[in-house]
Amino acid sequence: MYRNKLLSSVLFLSIFVFSCENEMKIDEPGNLVPKTVDQDSSLPSIVINEAKLHAETFGNPNNPIIFILHGGPASDYRYLLNCKEFADNGYFVVFYDQRGTGLSQRFPRSYYTSIQTSFDDLSSVIAYYRKSPVQKIFLLGHSWGAMLAGAYINQYPNAVNGAVLAEPGGLKWKDIEDYVKRSRKMDITGEALNNALYMDQFLTGKEDEHAILDYKYKLLASTGDENENVGNEGLLPFWRPGFILQDVYFDIIKKENSDWTTHLDQFSTKILFIYSERNKTYGVVHAQKVSSPFPNVQLFETKGAGHDMLSFPTGWNNTFPVILNYFNTLK
Amino acid sequence: MKHKIIIIIAVLFCSMSNYCQAQSINWAGLKEEHRHLVNLQLGIDYGVIYGLGYSYHLKSKLPLLLNAEFSIPSGNKFFDDFKTKIGAHAKLFKMNNIAVSLNINGIFRRYENTLVSLSNFGGSGNIIIGYYSPKWYVNGEFGFDRAIVTHFEHKDVYKSNFPDVKDGWYETTGGNVQFGMQIGYSFDQSDIYLKGGKTIAQDFKTSPTIPIYIQLGYNLKLK
Repeated sequence: MYRNKLLSSVLFLSIFVFSCENEMKIDEPGNLVPKTVDQDSSLPSIVINEAKLHAETFGNPNNPIIFILHGGPASDYRYLLNCKEFADNGYFVVFYDQRGTGLSQRFPRSYYTSIQTSFDDLSSVIAYYRKSPVQKIFLLGHSWGAMLAGAYINQYPNAVNGAVLAEPGGLKWKDIEDYVKRSRKMDITGEALNNALYMDQFLTGKEDEHAILDYKYKLLASTGDENENVGNEGLLPFWRPGFILQDVYFDIIKKENSDWTTHLDQFSTKILFIYSERNKTYGVVHAQKVSSPFPNVQLFETKGAGHDMLSFPTGWNNTFPVILNYFNTLK
Repeated sequence: MKHKIIIIIAVLFCSMSNYCQAQSINWAGLKEEHRHLVNLQLGIDYGVIYGLGYSYHLKSKLPLLLNAEFSIPSGNKFFDDFKTKIGAHAKLFKMNNIAVSLNINGIFRRYENTLVSLSNFGGSGNIIIGYYSPKWYVNGEFGFDRAIVTHFEHKDVYKSNFPDVKDGWYETTGGNVQFGMQIGYSFDQSDIYLKGGKTIAQDFKTSPTIPIYIQLGYNLKLK
């Protein structure tokens, strides 16, 4: 009798506790991924081209400006914040999360039809911060950000006064595709691939369920950060990846068979092209190939670092002086 | 008594582990005296999957098997990810060699990577329509797998990037539909089968990273 009562009580308590559990919604802003600037007005932002972008600046606004272009394109600028150091060396440093990424406002898939959107945003960000036509403009792009910098120079060869390109996948679709295949190669029975695939039965998101798709993409992308092939030291700091932009842009670039090298011969200023020692999928051969359309190139290999050469101490300490010297010669 | 102990051990073992899709059974080859089915599988289903299953054939008017399954994906870390299923598989309808069966399972599964641990309670249902003869069978299956409630526990590395992340239970976090075919060959006390098909998310638009499933399996039928 006592045993039956005890069992009933346990069962009742279990049902009560379980039914009282206030389950959260996965796609609610701020639950699994941070709120964006349109959801949290306390975040620093600018409005350009009818988009609210997460942006921060450091240094004297009258100094030559360095625009920091993050990778991905799904990533955000958090992992490049070491670049603030240029502000202490006579530069005005501008960070912004590209449209649809990081803490910037999201847009639906149908919004993106061309990477001209990124060109227009960059032009508008430059116009937003530039004080006068004589104020010098520099771009510092990493990975996708370096591809964007190269593509922007190809589109507008007179728009900037210098650029640092750190391991762009390529400036032509074929080079990008080759690099992506090499850098994402994983062992079919390995833990990294398993981590990337197995979550698909736990999390599914519809096309407009951005928070789920972004969160899921973060879990996926973290396996890339851990990929030994690219030589990273660890997981890169992040806010929020923008899955939709990543997915759409790769589709567009592939479909258009993009070639952003056709006008690079008009950019006679020297560019600084950086590649890393530990990224086994990049190397000097790929660096020479990708940088070859530029008439004037300074190639630099960062020792002791991988694709994340601007984010962790070894890579940053080995790269920063070279970048600073490059900008100083053009200042 | 001996059988009961074996069954209990098998069920406990299976419920601690995991597996994929509907159980594959040759209804024409399953005899009244076959009380126990042990199943081994290898396949691709959200990764490279290894699975083990056990079914108990009830003495009932409606052909019915109670089943427990366990599967793990490949990887360097064992048991950080796994799936368990406990359910029943019933033959609902039979006309000549054509049979329709329904397999319903409760699911518990776990996923862990460097950012988060997920524990999920879900459910799956598969309807299978096929042609069964004592030596071979072919059928088509349609199934739905829903992640009903999931517990998120983020690791320090995620919290250091997003301190306000909310750990705890989340309501329905996903669901996928699977449809495909099975073919099987039966001999002695055994079935060997191959199944495959397509996996698509519940919105019928988005696909998982691996949009297909393939499984090679073996059933051993015991009295």
